[in-house]
This record gives sequence, structure tokens and C-alpha cells, in this order.
Amino acid sequence: MSTLARRLILAALGILAGAAVWPAAELVLYFQARFASYLPFLGVLGAVTGALLGAVFGSAEGISSRVKTRIPAGMLLGALVGCVGGAVGLLAGQAALWLVGEAALRSYRSFRTVVLPASRAVGWAVLGLFVGVGEGARAGSLKKAAVGMLGGVVGGLAGGLVLEYAGLLFPRLAFPRLIGFLILGLAIGVFYGLVERGLSHGVLRLLAGPLKGKEFLLNQRRLGIGASRRNEIALPAYEGLADRQALIRIRRGEVTLVNLEPRVAVLVNERQVQEARLKYGDVLAIGPAKLFFKYE
Amino acid sequence: MGKKHLALLLLLAAAFSAGAINLSLAQIDASRLLVSQTVDLYLSVTGQDGRPLRGLPVEAFRVSESTDGRQFHEVRDLGAFTPAAGAAEGITFLLLMDNSGSMYDSVRGGATRDPALMRVNHAKEAVRSFLTRMSGPGDRVGLAAYNTFYRGLVRPGQDRERVAGALEGITRPQPEEAYTELYASLTLAVREFAGARGRKALIVLSDGENYPYAEHFGKPHPEFRARSYPHTEPIRACLEEGITVYAINFGPRQDRNLRSIALETGGQVFEAVDRGELSAVYRRIHEQVAAEYRLTYRAGMQPAERKYVRVRVGQAGSEAEATRFYFSTTVFGLPLAALSWLLAVPFVLAALGVWLATRLRLESRRGPARLEVLHTRVGSASTRALPLGSAKTVIGGSRKADLTIAGAPGVQGEHATVLFDPKTRSYTIVGGGDITVNNRPVKSRRLEAGDVIDVGGATIVFDDGEV
Repeated sequence: MSTLARRLILAALGILAGAAVWPAAELVLYFQARFASYLPFLGVLGAVTGALLGAVFGSAEGISSRVKTRIPAGMLLGALVGCVGGAVGLLAGQAALWLVGEAALRSYRSFRTVVLPASRAVGWAVLGLFVGVGEGARAGSLKKAAVGMLGGVVGGLAGGLVLEYAGLLFPRLAFPRLIGFLILGLAIGVFYGLVERGLSHGVLRLLAGPLKGKEFLLNQRRLGIGASRRNEIALPAYEGLADRQALIRIRRGEVTLVNLEPRVAVLVNERQVQEARLKYGDVLAIGPAKLFFKYE
Repeated sequence: MGKKHLALLLLLAAAFSAGAINLSLAQIDASRLLVSQTVDLYLSVTGQDGRPLRGLPVEAFRVSESTDGRQFHEVRDLGAFTPAAGAAEGITFLLLMDNSGSMYDSVRGGATRDPALMRVNHAKEAVRSFLTRMSGPGDRVGLAAYNTFYRGLVRPGQDRERVAGALEGITRPQPEEAYTELYASLTLAVREFAGARGRKALIVLSDGENYPYAEHFGKPHPEFRARSYPHTEPIRACLEEGITVYAINFGPRQDRNLRSIALETGGQVFEAVDRGELSAVYRRIHEQVAAEYRLTYRAGMQPAERKYVRVRVGQAGSEAEATRFYFSTTVFGLPLAALSWLLAVPFVLAALGVWLATRLRLESRRGPARLEVLHTRVGSASTRALPLGSAKTVIGGSRKADLTIAGAPGVQGEHATVLFDPKTRSYTIVGGGDITVNNRPVKSRRLEAGDVIDVGGATIVFDDGEV
């Protein structure tokens, strides 16, 4: 899968997440009167929304890496992180409201049309942050978590603003909240994909074999390459590779390839190497797998 | 209940039985609803003579809330209660003065050249008197004037001398400025309260009807253009911002909607004919607002576009009551009227979509051998992917080449050729110009799956079609 296809999948998952969230959010809204006050109401609304968004986005890595065993684990972790993030997020929005405090309360109209939606969009951004950070937590990668944070925050803020203003922007639409949630999900997906690409140190593209055309973003400090599905670059269909054959290490912007199992040759531009610093345009051969290192 | 309260309630009961008490729900401040779940009510209780009735205990009031204005539920959770809240916390006043042409007529009607007889000077005198009598340390006052145009002169603040000075700046308008944009000006005056908290009162002095420029002059208004301001506009703006309008009719003609603007925003209408009466009216408004009770209650969670609040004061059979509403929508808006199984459809579709995504077959399939252009540093390629069907495939800058790299000066017309050997079913690349395979310069080389060929800056991958 190319990085473009991955971004499209993230965007599509975002829309699906929005569609899944809408009925759940409507359910919570329907029972608004059962809540004692707006605080627990917002907490539950955020938790439900975050859990569903997190679960759907949690499936992204498993889908795009074609490692199906990662999907349920990713969804579960995404749901948990999203649930906490959603509750924290909307309460953070409320906290943002308290921070602006006095100024916010001076005009009901501006409070309703500017301060409240803007502060709650901050809450959606926090929710997006948690949704984005889920994959970094799963992979144990700070860099990946940072990518997710930034993508989630920007997407959450942009989508959250649309969601908050949906009723004001589209008063004649039958289900403005549905449109709002679809855009929130889409924005998180799109911005996650854009940030992921923007902050990556390049792309490894498989040139031959069953996964040819698939691209791996170098967006964490260490990426394992090998036959095991636990590797970030999992190549189970390429015969002869050790479970963890090689390692990509990124330090201070330099990308280094290390061969961990010398019984299989690792070549860079047809020269056998044990360890080599990579530059864009290099052609790597790791056993039967051939990869092209490019910048995107 | 203490003896003092009991005595007051007995006094109140006696007053009610004489039918002598009025209750006005002057202002509802719901701006803290989403933060603290509370709503502040400003209640004005006056006796037969219009004087504030002071010293009532919280037990004298009962508050009910409704989502439809018909079925009310009594609120048990009453919070803070502050008698004379305006005097304690200060009141924000905006004095909105009519400065239309008719204000330069005599107070008895008809034209005059004697400034002492002109309505406008009587009004200025009454305002000066009001400023002198304002005693609350937290009170703020501002000034605005209107005719064809609305002019905010002094934003509400504590500098009363500045307001007095601005009064002198109100001068006779030119003929085109002498129209009366009453509704527009009331609407625009609301913005002067930006930043003000607590009790907010807009005192408008008018000597005639709303007389819009566009309607009577036949041209678009220089500032409002085509926009028109019905009398409902200031009502909505004031309700949203929690501002009460007190209207003073100061002339022979009265606007037919000014009463409803005042009453619907929790205020009152007063009449005055000269500076003495006008001063008394200003004094009474101040006294009345300063004596209001502020009652805070915990609002319910019933979703509604607007919530009606009914307050009763007194005892059964001898009560006064007042009902008003406040806007209570959250940005999410109202919930759906009913839950339907159809709501499950997008959820099921989303789940199905995610499941389908997990089933995507993303592996490459077997196909014909081909060249795939990954990237061109200079120029552009005629195609992204070229199947290697024929025995000979030419790559070059020429239009006749099978794969044309156009706009790249380093690429010759026939820069490289890929030859197919049917016996070995293999492909060999032969360079007419400089080429590299896997970053190694070559003249000729048998290609293997995944080899990366560079032709004058174009990066091309050889795909043998196998998987």
C-alpha cells in the first residue's frame, strides 16, 4: 500500500468513525435530562465519542500493515485510550471555559456563539490527541505518539470547530450533528495522515515480491524488519528472512540500516553491508526483499 | 423562620390582600448555566405606590421552571439570595437619548427658538440630575444618542463627568439626520454592554415613533443599507444579553411597540412631560433596580430551546407572579424528538465498513512485466507504468520512444532499450546514454525483479510481473 493509499484509508476510517459516533452521541443526548448537570453529561458524551473514534482509528495500523492480529488489539487499546481521552477532552474544554472565565461570561451571545464552541473545540482537540496517541502507545514509540498527538490535535480542533458550529452553519440540514461528526472523524484521519507524512524521515517502498508497492513510513526511532509480524516492517511472505532480520535506526535525522542476522545478506546499492547510513535513492536488498528508500 | 421574617410575611400577606404588590422578573442571567448549572434571577417587588418593597426573605419566593410555558416544575434547590443586589454589586446603565429633529421642539409641542423650552435641554438637565444622584460605588453609566444614526458616546464606566461632558456634544441634527431609528438604535446599544456583568439596564428616552430613514427618505440607509430592524430585534438582543429596557415617553407621540420592548425585557414604561417629571422617573428607575432581589437557583437538565421561569411571591390565594424565559440551548442543540432503530443504520454501516477494510486484499497480483516510473527529477514521463509487451522497448526523450521522458536535457532520443529474450524469458537493459541500475553505472545488464533504473534523473522500477 502506498502512503497515499494509507492516507485515504485513514480518511475513510475517519468518516466511518464519525458515522459510528453519531448514533451513540444521539443516544447520550437523548438522555440529557437524566444527568445531574452538564459536567457528567459532557464527560459521558466525550467518553462514548472518544471510545468509538479510538476503536476505529485503532484498526488503521493493522489494516494498512496487513497484520490482522494487530486489529483487535489496536481497536481495544484505541477504545480505552479514546474513552479516557474523550472524557478528559470534553472536560478540558470545560476547563478552557473556566480559564477564560470572566471574559467568557460577559456576553451571552458571544458566549454561546464564540467562547463555548471554541473552548469545546479545544476539548475535541484533546480528544483527537488521545485518539492519535493510541497507536504510539501500542507501538511503544514516543515519536509515533508525538505524530499522533499533533495530527489528532489539529484534526480534532478543525473537525471540532465544524462539529460545534454544525447546527449554526447548517441550520436547515436534517442531521447537522451527523455532518459534524463525519467531518470531525475525517479531519482527524486526514490530519493524522498529513502529519504522519510530514514528520516522517522517509519511506521504504517494497519493489518486488507479494507486497511490492507497499510503503512503510519511517516515523519512529526504531523499526524492525523481518519475518515476524511483530516487526514494524513485517515481511512474512519473503522466504529466508529471520524473525528479526534487520533494524532501521533513526538518530538525529540520520537513518541507519543494521543487519542483525548475518547469515542472510543485506545489500545497499548492491554492496553487502553490516551497518550503513542510508541516503534517499538507495536500493536495499534484505534477502529476497528489495526496498527503495525515498523521501516523501 | 425568625420572628422578623414572620412579621414581614404577615406584612406581605396584608399587602397582597389589598392587591397592592407587583412582581417583575427584571433580568434572567443564564450565562453561568453550563459552568455552574445555575441561573440568576433579578426580581423587582414594588408596592402600590411603585416604591420597592424591601426586606423580603427568600421563603417568600417560589421558583418553577418549564420547557413549554405550560407545565411548571417547582425548583427545590434555591441557592444564594441577595436583597438589594443592584446596590451591593452595582448596576450598569446605558442612557439612550433621542436626538431626532422633534427633540428641538418645545416640551409643550410646536417649534421654538428658546433653548430653555426645548425638550432636548430638559432631557439633558434630567440626565445631569440622574448622574448627580447615582450613589452606588459600583454603578456604571454610559451614554448614547440616536436619530438617523446611532452614536455610542461614552461606554458604561464610573466616570460620570465624562458622561456629563458628552451631553454637551449632543447638538441639533441636520435634516437628513433627523429621522428616528429607534429599533435599530436599541439593538445597536446592546453592544455597549460588552464586558459588563451583573445587572444591566438600558434607559431609552423617546419623544416619538420609530421613523426609519430608508422607509421615509426612499434611499438605503447610509450605514444599515438594506437591513431593516423590526421591533422584535432589540427584544431578542436584550433577552440574549440579559438587559432590561426602561422606556420613557417624553413627548406627545408614543411608539406603539416601545411598551412591548420594555415589558418583554422585564422593564417598564414611564411618562414624563418636563424636566421635573423626567428627573423623578430616572430616580425611580435607579431606586427600583437598586432594590431588586437576586435569587440564584440550580437549573434542571431538561433540553429545551428556551426555558420558562415563573416566580411567585406571597402566600396561596394572595400571590403575585411573573414569568419570563431564557435561551437554554447548548451548542449541540436539542436531542432528536424520538429514538429510532434507524439510528443504528450508520453504526452498522460503519462497523461493516471497518470489517470490509480488514478484509481488503492488498497483496499484489501476478501480471505482465512492466516498467514503473517512480519519480522524475527533471521533466516528465509519458506514462506512470508501461507493460513490456514487445521484444524491444525504447526509453528516451524522443516522442517515438515507448517511454518518453520529456523536458529532461540529459536524456537522449533513444537513451536506453529493454530487450526481451524469449528463450530465457528475461529482459536486458542496454544503455545508449548513461544509465544506472541500483545506483551502479552499467552499459548493459540483465534485469531482475525490483531493479531500480535511473535514466537521466527518471527513477524507473523493473517489475517482472511475478509475486
